[in-house]
Amino acid sequence: MNKLWKTFKQGIIYENPLLMLMIGLCSALAVTSSVSNGIGMGLAMTFVLLFSEVVISVFRKAIPSSVRIPIFIIIIAAFTTMVDLVMKAYFPDLSASMGVFIPLIVVNCIIMGRVEAFSSKQPLLPVIFDSLGMGLGYTWVMVGIAAFREVLGNGTFAGLPVMPAAYQPILFFILPPGGFLVFGLFISFNIWLKDRMQKSMKERA
Amino acid sequence: MKGIVRLGVVLAIFAAAACASLAVVYSITKPRIEAQEQIALTASLKDVFLEAEEFEDVTESLKSDNLDIAFTNAILVKGGGAPIGVAVKASGPSYGGKAVLLVGLALNRSIAGVRILELNDTPGLGANAKNPGYYVNKAEKTTFPGQFEGKYVTDGFVVKGDVAAITASTITSVALTKIVKTVVDKAALWLESATLSPTPQEGAAAGGN
Repeated sequence: MNKLWKTFKQGIIYENPLLMLMIGLCSALAVTSSVSNGIGMGLAMTFVLLFSEVVISVFRKAIPSSVRIPIFIIIIAAFTTMVDLVMKAYFPDLSASMGVFIPLIVVNCIIMGRVEAFSSKQPLLPVIFDSLGMGLGYTWVMVGIAAFREVLGNGTFAGLPVMPAAYQPILFFILPPGGFLVFGLFISFNIWLKDRMQKSMKERA
Repeated sequence: MKGIVRLGVVLAIFAAAACASLAVVYSITKPRIEAQEQIALTASLKDVFLEAEEFEDVTESLKSDNLDIAFTNAILVKGGGAPIGVAVKASGPSYGGKAVLLVGLALNRSIAGVRILELNDTPGLGANAKNPGYYVNKAEKTTFPGQFEGKYVTDGFVVKGDVAAITASTITSVALTKIVKTVVDKAALWLESATLSPTPQEGAAAGGN
């Protein structure tokens, strides 16, 4: 159990896909200009990650290693398309605002990376914890960056105005350079957090 | 050789299983997706043509000749038993991918309204085109699609000329204007061929285009 918990925690801080592994950044920078997009993308991503990892882990012995990449892509693409269809049918507004980034989950390096490095070699249980940890690690960073950018760049939080009426939104934060800046700040925050946690763990030991 | 065949079979099995599961999800969600699109389209049509009562599908006879811009639906809108205009749901490329617009043209060849149904451009920039609180003309409180209302087919449709652009989003502004222009040109020709004119005089004036 302890080991599973550790696997779960890896994805959130120590091996956070965005801040430590630094993969899957394109969509992360592109959709984080509003909080609802961040949440939607995070959840869609977690769903695809969880189901792809589970299916691949279950069938890992049936997948010949020389054609594993095409098989991974077929599986990931199938789940992504399902998410896309379900969102279009039941959450049309969210689907409209996420646009092209949902189909692009197929080629997101986080999923490909985790599938290749982890679930194609591990049994089911650790895989579930890994995908949930990675998904949550991705989601918190997405929502965090989006909140920062939306509040400063648009004066709203998830579409609700939070800044005083006199506040002049700083358009810079919505633009790509603002995304890079906030992203960099998050990386340094995560490194600081990681060092602090490791230090306190050593002191305890 | 044997090995290659085996790999091919394994790959085919995975692909077939993925297809089958997608087919199931697709068939479950299809009616709902279509219903959602229909609801959105009817709501937009009634919003553009306030007195709209009946809709007649004319998609077959009103088609785009522009390779980039496709007309997915064309609807002859009727109110009080008589035609009042034609509306086209058109899609074309914009900054963040496909943009879908509904453009309504009244019988006097003026635009009854433009609604943005789908746009994936940058939030805070190009996406301001569909933000009802973003005004391209702050004094008159006109939104980007709102400014097309009342424009005539014969107008220039030049971005930063007679069409105000969205700040820092020239690509979106130009792309959307091009879709509107393509639709009204074709729709005006279609009205001509269907001999739908409010009065002979106005019809002739627009026909000079």
